[in-house]
Amino acid sequence: MGTDILDGIAEVAREHLGWEGPLTGDMRLVEDLRLDSVRLLTLAAEVENRFRVVLSETDEAAIVTVGDLVETVRRKLG
Amino acid sequence: MAETVNDYLLRAGRLPDGGLRFVDRGEQATWVGWGEVRERALAVAAGLLAAGAARGDRVALVFPTGVEFFAAFFGALLAGAVPVPLYPPVRLGRLQEYVNRTTRMLAACEALVVLADARVKHFLGEAVAAARPRLGCRTLAELPGGTSADIAAVAAAAAATAATGGGPRSDELALIQFSSGTTVAPKAVALSHRAVVAQTEILSGCWADREGLRHSCASWLPLYHDMGLIGCVFPALARDATLTLLPPELFVARPALWLRAIGRYGATISPAPNFGYSLCLTRVADAEMEGVDLSCWRAALNGAEPVAPGVLRAFARRFARWGLSPAALTPVYGLSEAALAVTFSALDRPSRSGWYDREALARERVARRVSPGAGGAHGENGAHHAHGAHGAHDAGDARGLAGLPERAQEIVSVGRPLPGFRLSVRDPHGRELPPGRVGRLWVSGPSLMQGYLGDPESTARALRAGWLDTGDLGFLDDGELYLTGRAKDLIILRGRNHSPAEIEQAVDSLPGARAGCAVAVSWLPDGASGEVLALFVERSRHATPAELAALPDACRGAVLAATGLALDRLEILAPGTLPRTSSGKLQRSETLRLHLAGKLLAPPPVTTLRLARAAARSGLGYARWRLARRREG
Repeated sequence: MGTDILDGIAEVAREHLGWEGPLTGDMRLVEDLRLDSVRLLTLAAEVENRFRVVLSETDEAAIVTVGDLVETVRRKLG
Repeated sequence: MAETVNDYLLRAGRLPDGGLRFVDRGEQATWVGWGEVRERALAVAAGLLAAGAARGDRVALVFPTGVEFFAAFFGALLAGAVPVPLYPPVRLGRLQEYVNRTTRMLAACEALVVLADARVKHFLGEAVAAARPRLGCRTLAELPGGTSADIAAVAAAAAATAATGGGPRSDELALIQFSSGTTVAPKAVALSHRAVVAQTEILSGCWADREGLRHSCASWLPLYHDMGLIGCVFPALARDATLTLLPPELFVARPALWLRAIGRYGATISPAPNFGYSLCLTRVADAEMEGVDLSCWRAALNGAEPVAPGVLRAFARRFARWGLSPAALTPVYGLSEAALAVTFSALDRPSRSGWYDREALARERVARRVSPGAGGAHGENGAHHAHGAHGAHDAGDARGLAGLPERAQEIVSVGRPLPGFRLSVRDPHGRELPPGRVGRLWVSGPSLMQGYLGDPESTARALRAGWLDTGDLGFLDDGELYLTGRAKDLIILRGRNHSPAEIEQAVDSLPGARAGCAVAVSWLPDGASGEVLALFVERSRHATPAELAALPDACRGAVLAATGLALDRLEILAPGTLPRTSSGKLQRSETLRLHLAGKLLAPPPVTTLRLARAAARSGLGYARWRLARRREG
């Protein structure tokens, strides 16, 4: 399940953010993926779109790494 | 004739199509008539008065695009207070950065209370604790519940004061908007009712309804932004017309929804900064445009940041298939210190650009037209003219690149002054220059700000004897305004203003960087699709090789974390490279001038590679860079 979600996020990153390298859970969205505010927003929207979940402000506040995002999506999918 | 924004609200809601249409991510629309907006605002006003708000108190607002924003904004006005729209947090963004900014802005406007969306309020605790507005932070539901009698009393009082002239006077403040610089030196632009009403009337006059044509506007612009609030909301309210709104975060995620909304609801007016048009080019798929008809779109206003000629042309050409008229694209110029708009290009013809001698502009500060090879000196940026006799160029297109003379620079006209405005291009001593000479742009008109709130020194520098020194550089040619750059220290990215100090301070204490010796600038390079952000950092004399190797990455990460902005270019320079004044102050515009002239010391190899990558994003930039490298040998 976790791997599926990570793969899905990697696909979003490739398709919508132009991220070409591998994506691992410990990577930080800002410092490592180098996402600026517009790209962070794109990531949030496209992840919601792909997994059919809605992230709340409270969820998002805790998300620093790709792994945090995977974990949040997993929780939402129940 | 309205004298205050309150007057507009009190008389709106008589026409059946007067109101707000909110479009959500499922493209479902919710309709709220102006009459209902007024009822909700009256309830908020009653609550604010019961909580202790008094005339002139500042009420900060933090809401996403939605009806609550309008209830709070107009509620503050009906209570005699001054609304101050602030922005909600960015998705997945750094909260600490957001809290710091909001704290500074709350302090700068001396807010009495913060009204916030319930979900956003959760994140404002720290900012509110630091800025300590007297009535704290509340959601609209947490205001003292106005009974129906209270609300009726406010409504009666508002109606009575409007009738007897006891309402807000036209020289009282209608709103405060932040022009830039949020963590560092926030500039709170104070606008009177008179200024806002004057601007609203001018804009409404640009699209008067006539037989068979009822104008309506669609916008994804944030409501804390002047182009979104003053440009879209007030004219719709004044004309008792429809305004279709999409949340800005929805536009960024799915730009096609903007174009689809324009088509579906037949919007005739829709503005965006250059960034918005550029985003559509890269992120809208043809499939998303199926069945969309943009032929209703008469005024695709393009302002709030420099207009890239290549983006204009590419947008006109790409979306002509879906009915977009080449005449729709309308570059405009304005600034929050003038409430909003100062110049418009003609609404009924394609935008215009001119080719000017680059060296003459830079060295002699003279605008000399040149011929771009085949074709005339001036081109119209319409889809049908892209390769036509007008010689307009398609930036990013190989044919355009080959035909472009190295010495010519293409600049888009932002048109002529709006009714009541005057333009004056001046030398650094404030003396007026003749047409064709490049200088500082001063403007006068009926909607200038009262000043920067709580900052008399900055106000005195900006406002002089009825004129506003915009800090923008440009020239007049055939009565039209062409902008060439900025004399003021301001970063403009995606339609939003940022203070360079904010970016520079982010790298101040990095290991290997020389403290206090960084300069951030942004500008619109030839052929680029928007302004690029560059940071120049001097390395410390004591930097170790390991620190130096890590410095570029550290700088990029630190700027992103502190500001949410990605650097397009970064140069690490030897100590002492950056130009300074005699008193030792770093000179930002001089840094940019030297950089563009190739006269700042070359960066170490690791950053040269990055510079090449950044330059490669625009074909022309890359060609120039390669040429320059070859010359260097």
